[in-house]
Amino acid sequence: MSTSGVVVPSTAAGFTHPRRRRDGTVGAVLFGTSSSTIGTVLLAVIVFVAIFGTSISPYDPRDVVARPYLAPSAAHWLGTNDIGQDIFSEILWGTRVSLLIGLIAATAAIVVGTLVGVVASLAGGLVDQVLMRFTDVVLTLPFLPLAIVLAAFLGPSLWNTALVIALVIWARPARVVRSQGLSICSRTYVEAAHALGGGFFHVLRLHVVPGVIPLALSQFILATSGAILTEASLAFLGLGDPIQKSWGTILYYAQARGAFLNGTWPWWVLPPGFLISATVLGFALVGRSLESVLMPRLRQH
Amino acid sequence: MHWYLGRIGQYALVLLAALSLNFLLPRAMPGSPLRFLAGEDVGMLAPAQVAEIRARYGLDQSLGAQYVTYLRNMATGQWGFSYQLGKPVLAAIRDRLPWTLLLVGSSLLVATLFGIFVGALAAWRRGRGLDTASLTGAIVVDSLPTFWLGMILVAVFAVELRWLPIYGAYTPWGPRSGLPYLLDVLRHLALPATTLTLASLSGTFLVMRYAMLDTLGQDYIRTARSKGLPERQVLVKHAVRNALLPVSTVVFLNLGFLIGGATVIETVFSYPGVGTLLFQAVLNRDYPVLQGAFFILTVSVILANVIADLVYPILDPRVRGSGS
Repeated sequence: MSTSGVVVPSTAAGFTHPRRRRDGTVGAVLFGTSSSTIGTVLLAVIVFVAIFGTSISPYDPRDVVARPYLAPSAAHWLGTNDIGQDIFSEILWGTRVSLLIGLIAATAAIVVGTLVGVVASLAGGLVDQVLMRFTDVVLTLPFLPLAIVLAAFLGPSLWNTALVIALVIWARPARVVRSQGLSICSRTYVEAAHALGGGFFHVLRLHVVPGVIPLALSQFILATSGAILTEASLAFLGLGDPIQKSWGTILYYAQARGAFLNGTWPWWVLPPGFLISATVLGFALVGRSLESVLMPRLRQH
Repeated sequence: MHWYLGRIGQYALVLLAALSLNFLLPRAMPGSPLRFLAGEDVGMLAPAQVAEIRARYGLDQSLGAQYVTYLRNMATGQWGFSYQLGKPVLAAIRDRLPWTLLLVGSSLLVATLFGIFVGALAAWRRGRGLDTASLTGAIVVDSLPTFWLGMILVAVFAVELRWLPIYGAYTPWGPRSGLPYLLDVLRHLALPATTLTLASLSGTFLVMRYAMLDTLGQDYIRTARSKGLPERQVLVKHAVRNALLPVSTVVFLNLGFLIGGATVIETVFSYPGVGTLLFQAVLNRDYPVLQGAFFILTVSVILANVIADLVYPILDPRVRGSGS
């Protein structure tokens, strides 16, 4: 810690635990510290709801099953919305939509980001300069307004939303992967591979890509948490698919249909927000844990 | 000098990217670009108006010629016309921009001062209660959707407790001058600014804490302490001053995040800034306004970056040396 850099590694934020097992196993990542255990439990619950939510939900959230704006009761645990749909069922179904968009967007963003990062670091020179210039442009553009404009033009659908989010979040992982790639490329075994006549793709496939994969994985988990937050914001601004409601879409309708004015907000606004926060927190905690388990190992080389 | 040229080139690229995107989006979508250039109500326009739009954007010309026309229009302030609002896009934005600047500016100020204060304190008392609590708080607050945080604050402080107004930036038909107006504006600003401050606090806090931990480990701090300087003086004059350098760069870079946050927060509070304009444009499919708002937000982010570039060398003489 001799340079006063601007980038704050999460490990510096105090989440390394003295008693953490440093063996880098899956167990250490998921349950190594109390915060990673909290994250793992949160994610386990959310993933369970995402998979089985539609089977355990008491109603089909697309059906009108009662009078509008009902307060919570035994029949409707979280009451009903403005057109008499069951809010509890809406939230259960929404889990899958929110999680799916987050995962699809993060996957696409990480694939693109990793590719850009490794190619830039290995190719160097003009290719590196052009790719990084482009990456910096994307990083500088205000990303939420950019996402709003793209989403408005593409129209609401699960895939379009995921695409838009991927388009605005791939740049950060690209930067991170590139710096890791640069450090790999400067190592002697990569120089040796070059000297022995290993071509661009040979070195890329055998040395650079395997070297950045753990880092890309932790970036993927952090990107998922960012993607879920972004999806919620877009949906809240009315850019979500009204047929496949995510948590953000539910909040959009709650705001638009006067949940504050008729006092329905405690069961209409609070639960979806808690779920978004819990999911984002879960991914963030596990992502940071993975990062801090990887960092010491990555630095040793 | 070389460094500045690089930065200028970078900002020119960002500007060009935003302009090109705005140019290409309406023309790359299936169907006639007219729908996107005039808004969804294009079917209700008179033939003469349609002809006027076609001429203004040069839609009968080649794509290259259209691009030149487009750039010239943007440069001369002809950002298109919103048929939904019944006024030019630039005029609509000009009405809204001061409110966004007020919201973002006040939040940035409070979040920066508070983040620096708590960050320095947390680093000084590393591993103690305050440190752990503020780190946990930063992680949790970062996980909350900004707009939802705003919704909760509205529900509690405006709807239930009735301490503060629910929406808007001033009372309609209320006082419009003097101290009463100022107080009215501040009362309306309180909740959205608090939301945005909370949402953007963690960035400054984490960087300040990290930089402070770094400076506290330096030799000159030990020297200062062994000279017998009071701890308070060591902290404020030696540690905090040096830790502020990295913070100063993040403050302005945070602005991009703040502007995104302001967009959703303005929507929650119906605050009459550019964010609400963007939201209404989304609802009405008013594409010219949508694009104008995106462009002005991009320009704001670039300006913030320029300010950061200009301020940083003043704060840190070492950058001046290595920069040229």
